[in-house]
Amino acid sequence: MRIRPPITLRPPRLTGRLHDARTATAVGRLLGAAIAVCFVTGVISHYLQRPPDWLAGSLPSRPYWGYRLNQGLHVASGIAAVPLLLAKLWTVYPRLFVRPALRSLGHALERLSVGVLVAAALFQLTTGLLNTAQWYPWPFSFVPVHFAVAWLLAGALVLHVAVKYPKIRAHWSRRSPGTLELPATDGPDRRSLLTGVVAAVGAVTLTTVGQSLTPLGRLDLLAPRHPDHGPQHLPVNRTAAAARVSVPALAGWRLTVTGPRPYALTLDELAALPQHTVTLPIACVEGWSKSARWTGVRVQDLVELAGAPPGTALRVVSLERRGAYRVMEMGGGYTDDPLTLLALRLGGEILTLDHGYPARIIAPNRPGVWQTKWVGRIEVL
Amino acid sequence: MRIATGAAGVALMGVGVFLLLRGGQARDVALWLAGAVVLHDLLLAPLVLAAGLLLARLPGRGPLRGALVTAGCLTLIALPVLFAPGTPHNPSVLPLDYPRNWLLSLAAVALATAAVALARRLRGTAGVRRLRTAGRGARRGARNPTSRAGRASSSPRRWGRRGR
Repeated sequence: MRIRPPITLRPPRLTGRLHDARTATAVGRLLGAAIAVCFVTGVISHYLQRPPDWLAGSLPSRPYWGYRLNQGLHVASGIAAVPLLLAKLWTVYPRLFVRPALRSLGHALERLSVGVLVAAALFQLTTGLLNTAQWYPWPFSFVPVHFAVAWLLAGALVLHVAVKYPKIRAHWSRRSPGTLELPATDGPDRRSLLTGVVAAVGAVTLTTVGQSLTPLGRLDLLAPRHPDHGPQHLPVNRTAAAARVSVPALAGWRLTVTGPRPYALTLDELAALPQHTVTLPIACVEGWSKSARWTGVRVQDLVELAGAPPGTALRVVSLERRGAYRVMEMGGGYTDDPLTLLALRLGGEILTLDHGYPARIIAPNRPGVWQTKWVGRIEVL
Repeated sequence: MRIATGAAGVALMGVGVFLLLRGGQARDVALWLAGAVVLHDLLLAPLVLAAGLLLARLPGRGPLRGALVTAGCLTLIALPVLFAPGTPHNPSVLPLDYPRNWLLSLAAVALATAAVALARRLRGTAGVRRLRTAGRGARRGARNPTSRAGRASSSPRRWGRRGR
């Protein structure tokens, strides 16, 4: 009877080409740039959406397209990072099985930081992408966790660049000393691989970016939103049904404004005030955005009617029963901007219920969730 | 400078850890972080490496590799819109025919790849003609326009091939 040798688990031996520092540098710097854009725009968006008290009063209302660009970039850079991250991980994958697994305390810490970097990067791209499709398969709340792990990822990336700096420098260009030490025959193959990865970045970008870059709307094949789909040709994030707002509930609607000279206006009285038309985008935190033509009363005028000085901050309360964004506060920068309206019309037509009938806020350079719909009360602060 | 940068990185990571601990959901998040690595390292990466092994034996694999990378990434970013559970009550969320669009995007990748392959072949043939007129067909490799030598000598900036 033959005795079989015990099965031993051995790490795989990877002998393929291009798992080298030059490929890692060439892909890594693109990935680093994408993550940097994603992180900075994400932090800006976070503080625009949930400003701390000291910041809330001084947020700028211009440029009016600021939030739209910010959030479009955030989601586009995140999607562009998907091929780059996978290519980068493919390049360095053999290092997962490096022997000895741990050489020293420093080596152990370095591997730990790389582990955090990889985990955080995969986590951020996955949760961000699923969030745009409004799919939440995890037990934690998305916004605070996505925000926290973003810092983890940014920190691990900065640390990684610091640790690898000599290697990055040695392989930065085709003629860098480290690159020249690699087999020259790999050059064309590496360029071919990079071309393929860049093509993938182009493809995932082109098929999704139309959700915010509306001239490319026709190429928007795989984004969770499309600029043409929604009531009055404008997408909606929270429907009236979801907000439990219905036409019967609006019977006898009046806009109440509190302040030094409180008043209430019916819809007809509001429509009789001077009307202004502005073109402003709705820009959602989830990345989609579209510009539209809004008509209504300037918030400036409503503040003045209430006897408050220009640039007074406001609290706007929606008729929706519940929701994280039911009560909105708006700093003086927004209320004093002539573009900020209490809109009654969209594209010349009366607002549909899903777009906030009878009246909604539309302000420049603000996240969509703060463009409060179904406005019932405005309080001068 | 490097040490300062590294320290800044550690500090930023500290902010993340602090936010996670304060949020009180750190255990679930840690599980998902680890799960992401396991899923990538034990499933996705080996699959891609296996595909690379198969591809390595093919001649002129550059465009094919680019096509597979592109198609794979398109599929990955389409997974959420293809498989998001439940029917959205909001008609402007997930409004498109995503299975159709996904197939369309893959068809576009296939077309583009075919066009690249065709362009390379044509360029190769044209290069061979030039060689023939110049050297009166003296070079062996130039006889067969599809031979590797013929193409290699005509287009120095081609998609790379490996294993030779």
